[in-house]
Amino acid sequence: MNAPQKTDRRALGRALSRTANASVADVLASAQGASGACRRIGVTGPPGAGKSSLIAALVRQRLARDGDIAILAIDPTSPVSGGAILGDRIRMEDLAQNARVYIRSLASRRSHDGLADNLPDMLEIIENAGFAEAILETVGVGQVEYAVRHVVDTILLVMPPGAGDQIQAMKGGILETADILVVNKADQPGAQQLASELAGVMKLRGEAPSGWAPPIVKTSIRDSASVAALAEEIDRHQAWLAERAGAKGRLEARRAQHVASLVARRVAEVLERTSPEDLRRPLAGLYESVIRHLAVFNGAA
Amino acid sequence: MSEQAKTHALKGKRILIAKPGLDGHDVGAKVIALALRDAGAEVIYTGLRKTPDYIARIAVDEDVDAVGLSVLSGSHRDLVQQTRESLDAIEAADIPIFLGGTIPAEDWPDLFALGVKKIYTSEMPLADVVASIAETLK
Repeated sequence: MNAPQKTDRRALGRALSRTANASVADVLASAQGASGACRRIGVTGPPGAGKSSLIAALVRQRLARDGDIAILAIDPTSPVSGGAILGDRIRMEDLAQNARVYIRSLASRRSHDGLADNLPDMLEIIENAGFAEAILETVGVGQVEYAVRHVVDTILLVMPPGAGDQIQAMKGGILETADILVVNKADQPGAQQLASELAGVMKLRGEAPSGWAPPIVKTSIRDSASVAALAEEIDRHQAWLAERAGAKGRLEARRAQHVASLVARRVAEVLERTSPEDLRRPLAGLYESVIRHLAVFNGAA
Repeated sequence: MSEQAKTHALKGKRILIAKPGLDGHDVGAKVIALALRDAGAEVIYTGLRKTPDYIARIAVDEDVDAVGLSVLSGSHRDLVQQTRESLDAIEAADIPIFLGGTIPAEDWPDLFALGVKKIYTSEMPLADVVASIAETLK
């Protein structure tokens, strides 16, 4: 199967659907690998932080750089019906008219980490299609989204003013993995206070093991200079990553996460096929049985 | 068919709900979007006043299984024709169009001739609309 190019939207759209729906066996059979050439930016943060609108404003700025941009926007799947309303692109309307921008809405499906089924594989398709940059918008649950760490290079944590009380809860989680802290809707009251609180938390934390000190950027989509400043911080982080020559270790960590997500999905596939009778077996026996079935996917899965 | 399968008859389907033209009433479109979601579909909603070209492009980028047009302005004939042509022009002749809204019965034959798969009006029970879409996309 040839990799679809970014100009062939029909083929690209279909390839992404096929991959989103693919079983682990199918993914393994068709995996192409990726070079790591595409800049990957993850945007996470609580619901209502204004992630989609900020991404639209940010992409307008980043189109000044070389290459085309793909946006993958994830919305939650209803655990009741399995359906989803994918509405992020409503806030990215004018961008959808730009031939250099591709927007794809994804449902989280079985994924419970703010990402979506087979997302690493979809990002490889985006990369192999020739996009220079991929922007990933996570579901926005706020606290469990460290999985995004291994699928992107640069993580933006976007917070609205008034999120101060959430900082305590975030301290041990996403706050530690974010590369850039964004106080969005900075034209609203409370933005400066949130920025100050974040600065306090970061100061207390001291220098990160990586040596990168996450900047705190205040943005408003009504103030294009503030968004331009954010775009530049992303460049600065990307340059820092490249300079450290840590790219190799990063790609290896990404591959480890990739295979871990495939194993997790394979476990889900096996459990979906496990009968109620088997599920009532003693735990040790059930565990052994699941482990045995994990490897069995030669076409039969 | 199990109750589960019946309720979630649209599981795995991606459907674009679009509002072409100038009318500003999207309550019907939103009600349908939620009903399709509850039947298991992944629903992409465009928002108001989109051009046929724009709708076709989203349908292709999002690789949807169907486009649902909601039209209450009376210009359904032109909008359906243009959307069908826009889709056909970008290799998406296989993506079916459903039409909902205020559509007089005397226009139906023309609309079907233009390539509309099914037509739904606000008098129809929602469950019937969802079942009909599921049946058509099977």
